[in-house]
Amino acid sequence: MKKKTEDITRKEAIKKIGKFGKYTALTAIGTYLFLNPKTAQARSPGAPGEGF
Amino acid sequence: MKKIVIKKIEHRSIVWFKNSNSYLIFESLIAEILSKIDAKISLTKIEDWCFKKLEAPKEIITELITNTFIVYKENNRLTPKKQTTVDKFITPTLFFSEKHYSIHNYIFKIQYQNEYHASKIHPTFAHLEINESSSYNFMYTLFDNNQSLVFLKDTTFIGQWNKSDSHVFEGKLSMQILIDIYKKPETDWMGIFHASAISNGKESMLFLGDSGNGKSTSLALLSANGFDCIADDFVPIDVKKNVHTYPAAISIKKKSISTLLPYYPELKNSAEYHFKKLQKTVRFLPPKTIDYRKRLKCKALVFIKYNPDIEINTHLISQIDAFQQLVPDSWISPLEKNATLFLDWFLDLPCYQLTYSNNEKMIDTVSKIFNNEL
Repeated sequence: MKKKTEDITRKEAIKKIGKFGKYTALTAIGTYLFLNPKTAQARSPGAPGEGF
Repeated sequence: MKKIVIKKIEHRSIVWFKNSNSYLIFESLIAEILSKIDAKISLTKIEDWCFKKLEAPKEIITELITNTFIVYKENNRLTPKKQTTVDKFITPTLFFSEKHYSIHNYIFKIQYQNEYHASKIHPTFAHLEINESSSYNFMYTLFDNNQSLVFLKDTTFIGQWNKSDSHVFEGKLSMQILIDIYKKPETDWMGIFHASAISNGKESMLFLGDSGNGKSTSLALLSANGFDCIADDFVPIDVKKNVHTYPAAISIKKKSISTLLPYYPELKNSAEYHFKKLQKTVRFLPPKTIDYRKRLKCKALVFIKYNPDIEINTHLISQIDAFQQLVPDSWISPLEKNATLFLDWFLDLPCYQLTYSNNEKMIDTVSKIFNNEL
């Protein structure tokens, strides 16, 4: 009897942890990457310039 | 009117936001919610849909939808256009030098007010210089005005830049050359990539990577070994997804000279330019052949890295990894149809990481990628 109770508790705990993890990810919109392209065409910085 | 474009990338989704021209990668569920928000479905209906799909508590769903809506709104906020006030200027009549260049059968006359302007542009086009000509197709005029650099095309104002943004000025001038030689307005270009490009005559391949990783050196090595040089540092691709030739000289850093001398003895005596601020020294190597008629599809993106400890190592990399490296370093047309084209183009391409120190093996690997033998 005691064993059964322990089993249920463990199962529930895992379920709760699992759900907690899942929802945390949801409410934080998951991890996401933010990327902005350049706003203007550019050459590599530093063509010879002054003092070349 | 739709404000986002969504494409699958591996197990996630790329969402492009029109108003901010930004690319975000989300879990696909979030992209689905964003798509519903964009379709103007009410938040209550989206909540119901989510509730059925996720079987999560109502308050969690509400929080999720609220946060996603904030992300949607924030990324679709119109970025206020910079007020560009054009200072009054008087076009100079005296110039330090006036050079003529033949580019794709057009004659360009470029007027440099002083040595600084000439030093920014001339070294990369010196191989295209021709004798002074009384007629020309385009005239570019470069001069200083109140500490700014001004660029006129045929006396029409193109732009002005602070000297600290001179690489943007060079980018604009390069873009103008593309527009003029290929007769395609800016809206006909999908993107300009910070890469080098080669071709096997039928297709092209782009080499990408941070500065100092060997993009230009590998380009020079490959062009000495049967491949054609298409572009160095500035790779233009049009809306038909064709890579075009850009004829500027290849910039070779001092540390690569000894590797390249056996192939390019002319490098020994070519002029050396010092970048004081960047503490680097380069020589310019004209492309061996320039074929402006080439319109090439891209076979693959190769992220290249020179590493003296690794003879050769090539492997496919995840698209998400490649995308993260590619986008921040590129100009991608902000027009919706072009951004969509760019996403379709990218998602169709294999992306490799190529680390090498053995030149022959690097060249062999590139041939194998072209021939589907890898």
